[in-house]
Formats: sequence, structure tokens, C-alpha cells
Amino acid sequence: MKKVDKKTAEAYFRMRTRLIIIFLSIGFIVSFGVAAFAEFFSQFKFLGVEFHYYMGSQGAVIVFILCLFLNAVLSDRIDKKYGIDDTANAAVSDRNTRRNNTQHVTEERGM
Amino acid sequence: MESQMLVSLGLILATFALYIVISVYNRARATSDFYVASRGIPPMWNGMAIGGDWMSAASFIGMAGTVMALGYDGLPYIMGWTGGFLLLTFLLAPQLRKYGRFTVPEFIGDRFESNTAQLIAAIATVIISFTYIIGQLSGSGVVIGRLFNIPSVYGTMIGVVIIAIYATLGGMKGVTWTQVAQYMILIVAYIIPIVFISLQITSNPIPWLTYGGIVDRIGQIDRELGLSEYFAPFTESDKSQFLALMFTLMVGTSALPHVIVRFFTVSTMKAARWSGAFALLFIGILYLSAPAYAAFSRFILMTQVAGSPMNELPAWTQSWMDTGLLQTADQNGDGILQWTELSVGEDIVVMATPEIAQLGMFVIGLVAAGAMAAALSTAGGLLITISSSFAHDIYYRLIKPDASDAKRLRAGRIAIVLSTVIAGLVALDPPGVITQIVAWAFALAGGTFFPVLFLGIWWKRMNTQGAVAGMITGLACTLSYIFLAMSGITLLGIQDTGAGLIGVPINFLVCILVSKNTPAPPQHLQDDVIDLRYPEQMTYKDGEVWINDGTQN
Repeated sequence: MKKVDKKTAEAYFRMRTRLIIIFLSIGFIVSFGVAAFAEFFSQFKFLGVEFHYYMGSQGAVIVFILCLFLNAVLSDRIDKKYGIDDTANAAVSDRNTRRNNTQHVTEERGM
Repeated sequence: MESQMLVSLGLILATFALYIVISVYNRARATSDFYVASRGIPPMWNGMAIGGDWMSAASFIGMAGTVMALGYDGLPYIMGWTGGFLLLTFLLAPQLRKYGRFTVPEFIGDRFESNTAQLIAAIATVIISFTYIIGQLSGSGVVIGRLFNIPSVYGTMIGVVIIAIYATLGGMKGVTWTQVAQYMILIVAYIIPIVFISLQITSNPIPWLTYGGIVDRIGQIDRELGLSEYFAPFTESDKSQFLALMFTLMVGTSALPHVIVRFFTVSTMKAARWSGAFALLFIGILYLSAPAYAAFSRFILMTQVAGSPMNELPAWTQSWMDTGLLQTADQNGDGILQWTELSVGEDIVVMATPEIAQLGMFVIGLVAAGAMAAALSTAGGLLITISSSFAHDIYYRLIKPDASDAKRLRAGRIAIVLSTVIAGLVALDPPGVITQIVAWAFALAGGTFFPVLFLGIWWKRMNTQGAVAGMITGLACTLSYIFLAMSGITLLGIQDTGAGLIGVPINFLVCILVSKNTPAPPQHLQDDVIDLRYPEQMTYKDGEVWINDGTQN
């Protein structure tokens, strides 16, 4: 085990949080944003249909999918930059899971 | 019609045989297998299994019909059910995976160190999954009933028996791989009809590119008939209901216990992110196709069926009129069927469109098999969730902590059989239409769990009292609003299906206010929350972050 500098740890969390906020805002705008101003967007046309309808039936879903894949790729990059290795993650995760599942047999808890 | 029944039945039986073979082959032997398979299913397959689990009778049979009937106002279903995966994959799934508990009630029990909280969560999980499964069972009843020309009541009974058998036999391990198979069958069954119809009416085989033009032409026909345009916003319901329904479905999706449990089968937080992305990709393929299905179906009905003489209606109309879901009446007595004289039940659109477009017996049978796959796969996942909430959270951890593996397994199987039978009985006379029942389950899931899970993961000050109060008021408010709205009392035009917009904010408020006014949780629980900010390899301990580089300390 090695101690991680406080600033480094905070920077990691900040970067991941920033990604989450950015992607969720994009998702919010293409769904709720467009629907809230549907009357306005209906004056434009895209792929042969009114823009608000296009966004509701295709555009928003495609943006959602892109957001998730982009986040997965960018998060992997951030992990790599901070020296995180997923095989090590898997090993730690596996060990913790085993511990959790034997631990709570004896655990005492109040109602 | 006889040969059609044989072909459909043959396809359904062949696909069932496939699921059962996979299920028996993977027969669960130990409880840890039974609940979350063995961890470490690769993200792509896990994503596909989530897709099979996720897409229910409501998505497969109901959604395209709803969009066809409501036009733009049906699109919250498309955006809400897909957008929920954004909330889930960003805000909940990876963190829950690192916390490493089996089920949602178990997470809540451990995060708040409270058996009360766990018990409430387990009961809510059973209520939500139970509500959801009623819709699936009545869906499978409709498909089986139409197939054999028997009352859907008997169809439901047949469906109940099949679901109970394979869920008790295989457990989740079986279900994971059967769900992959079910996903493949249902997506093929959904895509093939719209590719052929697109080819028929636009001579371009790529429906996703061609239906926009069709939507525009439907709007023209609507204008000529003096109706509001198909794509015009907020003609069927208020804008507030549109936004409330979308919010309810999104938040509900991210808080559904049977979907969340799927993320416990991945190995790491990183794998959870990728599983979520793949899940939405596979689910998106169907959701992107539903509006095309809807548009083509409406266009064919408007141009090829409407306008035909009453005594020369195509043969398929009679068999669907027998079910009562298609009605034609020559109101103005001119001997010709007008579009406005045709009343099409939403739930028959997906099943009837291949017949209307004369795509042949094989495609029609394939759609029936796909519909059954959708209903069964979701029902299977729900039963496992009910079973594990009961056997694991209520029986093992609260009633009998010294129960052996064999006893817990038996408790789980008894829970499956019991809940299938009871849900089957309710489904014989369902309390609402399928999509409506399913939307209630989403409102309840969001209203009960989303704020507690979200704050439990991201806010270290969130404590037991807040969680208990939040879950109880959230569940109570959402339930009450559903009943009030059903009896006609609504707020700002929000209907029963949008109840999440009432329950979720109230739950959030109660969680925060109660937590703030009661003592902070113990330090080690607060540390656990900070620990969730980092990947598995990094640990937060005593105010410092440590990275596991292979060396011991």
C-alpha cells in the first residue's frame, strides 16, 4: 500500500465528477430541454421530420448512448493517468466481496 | 389461419426449448451462483443480458402502439426508459458495485447499519417487482391467448407455469445466458418486420432513415382530415404530464432493484461503466426502432386500410376484430371505412402490423416468439429479485441468520413459486392496461429508492433516520398520488403515470431535513462514502487515500 497525495486524490475525484456533470447536463438538454421548448424547435426540420420529433424519437437516444461510451473511454484514460490498473481492481474487488459475504453472518445490528 | 398457428407455435416452442436447455445446462448449484451468477461476466454480454432483462412486454408489445396512438406525446417512453441508464451508469451502478453487496436492500441495510432500513427496502423491492410482474404476466397471456384463440386468462396460466419452472430450475446464472439468447431473438423479431415494411413503402431497407419522411406524410394526411398533426407536441396530454412522465420513467429506471442487481455481476467499477454503455446500445436498437414501427403502421392503416369499402376489408381485420381490440364502424354510412371510423387497440400494433403488411407466416410467428421472449425474460429477472429479497434480506439476514445454503435456496424457490402464483391470479383481472401498471412500478421505484440510493452514495451526512423516513414518505406519497390521480384528482395536470415527479422531490426533501436534524452517522460509515469516490485499487482510510500497488504494509 502506498499513500496517495491528498491533492492527487482530490484531483482524481474532481475530474470524474466534472465528467459526470458535463454528460448529465448534455443528456438533460437533449431530452427535457428540447421537450420544454418543443413548440420553438418544431419550426426546424431534420431528416425529413420536425426537429422536436426527431430529437424525441432518435436524437436524444443516440446522444445518451454516445455519452455513456465516451464516459467509459475517458474514465479509463483518467484511471490510466493515475496509475489505476483494472486487474488490480478486480483482485481487490474480489477479495472485498468475499470478506463482505462472510463478515455479516456474525455482525450485530440494531433495529 | 391454422397453418399460421402451427408456425407461430413451432417458433415459440423452439425458442422456449432453447431457453430451457441453456437454463438447465447452467443449473445453479450454490446460492452465490443463484443470485448474481458468478461475478465477472464480460461487459458486452452483461450489457446484452441487461437488455434482455430490461425489455419487457411493455417495451416490445406496448411502446410502438403507444407512440402510434399518441404521436409526439408518446415519446417520453422512448427518452425516459433510455435516459434512465444515464442516471444509473453515472450516479449509482459503479459505486454500488464497489460497495459490493448482493442486493439493493442489502446495500441500504449496510450503508445505514439498520435492519429496519433493510426490511423496508426489501418490502418495497417485493412490492415494485410484484407490480411490474403483473404487467408481464398479462402481456404473455394476451400473446398466448391470441395465438390459440383461447381467452387470455388461460394464456396467462400457461405463461405462469412456464416462468415458474425455469426460474426455479436455473436461477440467475441460467437467466443471464437465457437473457442473452432472449435479447437476440426479440431484437431480430422486432427489426425484420420494419426492414421489410420500409422496403415496401419507401424502397429503402433502412427504416431509421426513412420513417422521418413517413411521419411528415402522416402529418399531411392529418391536416387534410382536419386532425391535429401526428408530430405536433402536447395535443394528447399537457406539457407538464410529458415532462413528469419522462422524469418518472428515467428516475424509476435507475432505481429498479432488478436492473441494479445486474450490475453486481460485473467485476469492477470500470466494468460497470462499460456494461451500462453496452446495455444502452443494445436497448437503444429497439427504442430507436419503435417510432419507425409506429409510423409505418399508422401510415399503412391510413393509406391502405382507410378508404377501402366496408365489405372488402382485408382478411386480417376480422380476426383482430374478434379480439375486441380493433373496431370499425361505418358511422357516416357511405360504405367506405374512414380513418376516423377505425379504432385500433394500442397493444395489437406490433403483433398486427406484420399481418397487415403481409410479411408472411414466418415473420408473424417470429414476432410472437419475440413478444414471449420479452415478457418471459423480464418476468424471470423479477422473480429472481423477489426471491433474493425474500430469502436473502428477509429470511437469512433478519429471521434466521444460521440458515444453511440449502435452506436459503429452498426459501428462495418457495418465494418464486408463491409470488408467481399470486401475481398470476392478479393478472387474470389486471387493474389497468399493461403500460400503465408498468409505469406505476417505475414511479414506486423512483419514489422509494432513488433519493436514498443517490444520497447514500454521494452524501456522507445521510443517516439511518433520513433513509427510513425518506423511503416511507416516498413510497406513501407516490402510492397516494397514483390512487388520487386515478380517481381524478391531479396536480398541475400530472397524471398517475407521472407520479414520480411528486414522490421523488418529497423523498429527497425528507431525507435531507431528517438527516440534518439527527446525529451524523458513525465515522466508519462516512469513510465508506468517501471511499466510493475512487476505484477499487484506491482505499480511503483515516483521512488518507491509499493505493494498492501490490506491496503489503
